[in-house]
Amino acid sequence: MKTVSLFIPCLVDLFLPDIGEATVTLLRKLGIDTIYHDGQTCCGQPAFHAGRRLETVQLAKRFVEIFETDEAIVCPSGTCVLMVKKHYPDLFADQPEWLERAKNLADRVYELSQFIVDVLGIEDVGASFEGKVAYHESCQLSRGLGVVEQPKKLIQATAGAELVPLQNASVCCGFGGHFSFNYPEISEALVKEKADHFMSSEADVLVLSEPGCYLNINGYLSRHHPGSKVMHIANFLTGSG
Amino acid sequence: MEIKTEQFVETAKRELKNPNSRIFLNLLPVVLSSLRELAMETFPDPDAAQEMGGIIRGEALARLPELLETFEKNASAAGAKIYWAKDSQAANEYILNLVLENQAGYITKGKSMVTEEMGLNELMIKNGIEVWETDLGEFIAQLLARPPFHIVGPAVNVPVDQIRDVFMEKIGLDKPTTDPVELGYAARRFLRDKFHEMKIGVTGVNFAVAETGTIINVENEGNIRFNKSSPKIQVSVMTIEKVIPDMKDAMHLLRLLCRNCTGQHIGSYVTMDTGPKKEDEIDGPEELHIIILDNGRSQIFQDTQTREVLRCIRCGGCLNICPVYGMIGGYPYGWAYSGPMGQLLAPLLLGLNRCHDHIWACTSCQACKVNCPAGIDHPGLLLYLRNKEVEGDSSLKAVPPAWTESLSYKVFSRIASNPMLWRLTSKLMRPVINRGAKDGKLKKGPGPLADWLKGRDFPEMPEKTFHERWSELKRS
Repeated sequence: MKTVSLFIPCLVDLFLPDIGEATVTLLRKLGIDTIYHDGQTCCGQPAFHAGRRLETVQLAKRFVEIFETDEAIVCPSGTCVLMVKKHYPDLFADQPEWLERAKNLADRVYELSQFIVDVLGIEDVGASFEGKVAYHESCQLSRGLGVVEQPKKLIQATAGAELVPLQNASVCCGFGGHFSFNYPEISEALVKEKADHFMSSEADVLVLSEPGCYLNINGYLSRHHPGSKVMHIANFLTGSG
Repeated sequence: MEIKTEQFVETAKRELKNPNSRIFLNLLPVVLSSLRELAMETFPDPDAAQEMGGIIRGEALARLPELLETFEKNASAAGAKIYWAKDSQAANEYILNLVLENQAGYITKGKSMVTEEMGLNELMIKNGIEVWETDLGEFIAQLLARPPFHIVGPAVNVPVDQIRDVFMEKIGLDKPTTDPVELGYAARRFLRDKFHEMKIGVTGVNFAVAETGTIINVENEGNIRFNKSSPKIQVSVMTIEKVIPDMKDAMHLLRLLCRNCTGQHIGSYVTMDTGPKKEDEIDGPEELHIIILDNGRSQIFQDTQTREVLRCIRCGGCLNICPVYGMIGGYPYGWAYSGPMGQLLAPLLLGLNRCHDHIWACTSCQACKVNCPAGIDHPGLLLYLRNKEVEGDSSLKAVPPAWTESLSYKVFSRIASNPMLWRLTSKLMRPVINRGAKDGKLKKGPGPLADWLKGRDFPEMPEKTFHERWSELKRS
């Protein structure tokens, strides 16, 4: 597989483009070419989680039309991949033709670390980082897609990096998209706990594989623990950001 | 109990700052989840055992009407009196009549969330009948006039000095002690008197076995056993979904229930009753009344999606693992059922109009789903209910959101359907969002961002979107 199609989450497109760039850099380093369909916008996840099925179906159909001829689609977010892989088939349950197309597409969508470790069979991407690394297990990635070990393997294979335990690593950071806007106090209490566990892990960096968690945890640390470092795994593995 | 589901947000804000609740809640992810894990590991294949729970519950629901008939037939044959209660009122009145006919004066109860749902205690008290909760936690909650904090541990958050004070005030604790054993003895002395004179004991039901007509309860204190064995009249209240096919299923579900609930292999007391006392038996109730309560569940059953909620076996495992419950505890949910299972049950039983926050206060982290021994996909069902609310589904008493909100999603999907418009909007948004940004961070912002930004920074919108950077990237 020499070329993959980039599935860039809207959050990355608009607010965190460095994660998208690092994804391209990393894949190229591994000998993978990337194409980018510039008609892509949003997969519909925010609308879906807000109960807006009609609006989501509209965006899901667009997504399928844009991506369905690609051999492999890679995305630096577990949430967005889960949306396409799991929720699209649910959305099209009563539209057999679209259901077929969505299912067909679902098998070819991968989260970045999943693609590198499971499809390419690579753990050592030639990255280096001097210091201790804690890894936050994002909900949709770990419980939704079952991707837990892949990012850890990539970190462990990084020269100079020591993966250290993070207490309650698999507990939600409290983002949950609109949850963090609708219930900011509860959300903040959760991210505070995540930040506290990171601080007591004494790691030099908190690595994660989900732009939403990045936004939340980094936002909290930036306010309360300036100088502490959070990195998306694509940035961590390319030494950028 | 008074229903306060509409006060979710204000109660949650208050509870976030409640140090007494925090002591217990902080233990949940550490202690209880490791106890649960250790207990689950005693199964040769924990995952298979968990999956089997879901399969049993799925089968029981698929066969529900038939199993209920079989249960009624077999329980009646064993001498139990079956009463089908359409709603809480019917069930409450049935119990009230029993009390009046038998001049019982008071009833004792085993902890049961279903009688909380029915508001049984309020009705009894209104009619001058005393009610005594006999589960220690529920007893404390009753004395303090508080709702249950947790479906399994109703007063687990109450500090011991408060228990001391209320025991001194209300049940005659004669010396001020915070020794748990002494306090336990005080409650025991008080409740033993109640058991001694009792005529009617009311309990819930964990499982009703169709094959044998047996009702099963599991507990740790022996109070349910007292309620079932010592009164003249035993009243067991079950909801329709409690029925399961046979004893083999019951044994497996019991093992799962206890492991997921308290991390025990089995509760200290498991009681199985098939009919009242037989002629050759020395103890047990003379009459066994089994109330089978519907209270809206037939309607929940009709929709194959919401039917999934009826799988729940009330282990409380989802409360123990839920990050939101872990922050706010049980009070904000405002009723008998809290945490993820309560977030599904309460809106379905009370109406979406009274439980708006129940369906939205979820991060979709899926911890509950992964841990559920009954195979419930709580986050998925919450999304289903959100959609019902958005559509204004009248059968679920949904109040649709403001038209402005609906419009904003329509506009969003229109913009996201047109790449040109998407790019243009992002360009126009940038100066609005970035107004007031400092060092690449937003500290204050408009609309929905304002509260978020009280405790967190948000990145400013960068100069160029990924899309704009791509033209350079693809050439490099």
